[in-house]
Amino acid sequence: MTKLLEVVDLEKRFELHILNEKAIEALRQVSFNVEEGEIVGLTGKTGSGKSTLMKCIYRTYLASRGQIQYYEESGGILDLTSASEHEVLRIRKKEMTYCSQFLQVIPRVPAIDVVASALTARGRSVDEARRITSEILERLSLPKDLWDAYPATFSGGEQQRVNIARAMIARPRLLLVDEPTASLDMKTKDAVIDMLLDLKRNGTSIILITHDEHTLTRMADRSLHLENGRLKEVVYA
Amino acid sequence: MIENLRFQESFNYAYIDEFTKKEIRRKTLKAVCIPGYQVPYASPEMPISRGWGTGGLHLTLSLVGPDDTVKVIDQGSDASVNACNLRLFIKEMAKCAVTFDTAAATIIQSRHRVPEEILTEKQILVLQVPQPEVLRRVERHEAKTRIMHAEADYAKIWVTLYEAYVRSGTLRNGAGHPILVNGRYVATPSPIPSWDVPNLSMARCLYLFGAGREKRIHAIPPFTRVEPLEFDDIRFKVEEFIGVHCSASGQDKAFMDQIYAEDFSRFWVINDSNFLDKVRQGPRPSQRLFTNPE
Amino acid sequence: MDEKWLLRVRNLTKIFGEVTPDVCDRTGPQFNSNICPKTGAVVACSNISFDLYPGEVLGIVGESGSGKSTLVQMLYFDSDPTSGEVNFRPIEDGSVNLFELSSQKKRYIRNHLMGMVYQNPRDGLNFRFSSGGNIAEKLLMAGVFHVGNIRIRATELLNHTEVPIKRMDESPVRFSGGMQQRVQIAKAIANNPPLLLLDEVTSGLDVSVQAKVLDLIRRLQDELGISMIVVSHDLGVIRMLTDRTIVLKHGQIVEHGLTDQILQDPQHGYTQLLVSSLL
Repeated sequence: MTKLLEVVDLEKRFELHILNEKAIEALRQVSFNVEEGEIVGLTGKTGSGKSTLMKCIYRTYLASRGQIQYYEESGGILDLTSASEHEVLRIRKKEMTYCSQFLQVIPRVPAIDVVASALTARGRSVDEARRITSEILERLSLPKDLWDAYPATFSGGEQQRVNIARAMIARPRLLLVDEPTASLDMKTKDAVIDMLLDLKRNGTSIILITHDEHTLTRMADRSLHLENGRLKEVVYA
Repeated sequence: MIENLRFQESFNYAYIDEFTKKEIRRKTLKAVCIPGYQVPYASPEMPISRGWGTGGLHLTLSLVGPDDTVKVIDQGSDASVNACNLRLFIKEMAKCAVTFDTAAATIIQSRHRVPEEILTEKQILVLQVPQPEVLRRVERHEAKTRIMHAEADYAKIWVTLYEAYVRSGTLRNGAGHPILVNGRYVATPSPIPSWDVPNLSMARCLYLFGAGREKRIHAIPPFTRVEPLEFDDIRFKVEEFIGVHCSASGQDKAFMDQIYAEDFSRFWVINDSNFLDKVRQGPRPSQRLFTNPE
Repeated sequence: MDEKWLLRVRNLTKIFGEVTPDVCDRTGPQFNSNICPKTGAVVACSNISFDLYPGEVLGIVGESGSGKSTLVQMLYFDSDPTSGEVNFRPIEDGSVNLFELSSQKKRYIRNHLMGMVYQNPRDGLNFRFSSGGNIAEKLLMAGVFHVGNIRIRATELLNHTEVPIKRMDESPVRFSGGMQQRVQIAKAIANNPPLLLLDEVTSGLDVSVQAKVLDLIRRLQDELGISMIVVSHDLGVIRMLTDRTIVLKHGQIVEHGLTDQILQDPQHGYTQLLVSSLL
């Protein structure tokens, strides 16, 4: 197998200058690898650092120490903790997507365009993007009358589906998903899992945060357990 | 017996003192060297107020000699009050000959018209200009207009032509259509009808423009290319007098005035008074006519 | 292959008042002032450096007086810098400092290669001209002397920015603030510039009108892929429009990063204060 991501001695410390210089240690000495086409689960209690770790990889958080070596499709290696903003944006645009727990979309854009924009941004035509989007939204059984509505008005489960569709549609090399199946009914949950497994078969690596046993056992090749910001054990599925 | 004491005082020849005349001539030469460029000059006090033709008078008086023959026209007419007074003043001050005959004059001072008759290399046409700055309508600040001229930044003038076309369907935007002189400076030909604008290009005579109030001189030397600004698809056109003719001469190829009679009927008369006299008396003087593009 | 930058800014400095050699060392966030205690000179921008890549949207955020407007005004040649360099890829492949070019060349860059949208529509539009005339001005500057083509392009642009075509021949003076802003945007993008500068374009507009203008800018980013520099004191605008952000305080860059990182994991105390004020 080929390596995709190598996290070495990652530490994250939040320094709150406006709260009397209070500091919070969120991650300590985290090291692990992700191979191509592998699904790695992240487990742990609330506040154990799962989302922090994921956001450090996506560079939404700046790591305080350590490295996150990303092996690019072109063969280059990029340390996501110190790469230039431009480099990170390039990787985000072409190879890495992040699907957060909550949908953060541009206001006043219809659901179908929210999803399709992930494809048009990568150079696909609007018609093609909308066609592929329709297929995915159908598989996720998002009611058709919602496609042209604004997701801001949607229920949690509906927003979740738009969010997942947008993250998956461009078939990234690395997908970071935070609680993809929460607030979904059984049927949709299975649809989401099937689609993520489809991606995996096509070579996508996935880092997955979930509290849901069913999702974890069906998907993850192995899981990493975090406790108080430290990597406690590696559980192979 | 009441003696007319006007002009009995002893003045310098041609009213203006020699130092000031020299200054005006120097600036005139500079204006001739840089066609279309506005040269600032001293603009001395005259016995008429600024804005009444002082710029033209400065140029005429700095150029005139006792051997010259001067003609003064105002809106095409030798007989208007202004033309008469200026002519009398120049004649008394410069002891020169004066005439109505366009062909006989060596210096012609004019307001609002270029004579219909073709001028020759022996003649100078002096035009009185109220506002020489073609950019003033679009830019209030003098410092900025100078930079705009320096950089040939004329987009705003073009926009006024665009706006005129959108509003009225024609590029004509009052008198004084902006012209590009010698491919470099955009200038105003003073408020003359569009009819006269083509006569400025490649002419045999020298055109001088004097703005006394604004203290600027500019010039179009003989055989200088002058192009009215026009778009690729919307072309410059001169006034058309279709289906009308001059009620005094029966002619139709000249710039004409519309005149109301006492019974409110209207008729047309050739505007250039000397040209009208000539076409009525004998052979038609030589004239340049412009054909509008389709 | 590494993509090449579009705009490179190095040590851009603007000082109002006496320029002394160490004036930049006596001002800035660490002194909590941009006024030199010795000379009273105001350091509006102090050694600003950054790169902008094609298609990228850079946000510049900071409070009033932090120097953000001065920065874009210098980039658009509205104001001359005291020192510093700006290189721009379309000009000599980025090898010359734009500030050393002749004023004709600068005007060419302004007219052909950059667009600017000002906070006050009066700065970007001439209210004595119609909306169409305002767009025509930009096209005429670029040498389009064909009324028919000008009107076709103006119609296209006003359509794009959702300004009713039937108001094309009206002066923007009678338009609402939001519509004036959209005419200004139409004018700014008339010549398809690779770089668009937006200075507080939604400040002073109602929330709903603001939303329409922001949607328009967002759409232009998607459809035309123009690189943009968005100046705003409003982190909401920055979040919605930009990929990367620079935080300015007292004329200096205190922090730069990806916009989501600036908003979620701000490093500098000032940014933390800004972000916490937002939430």
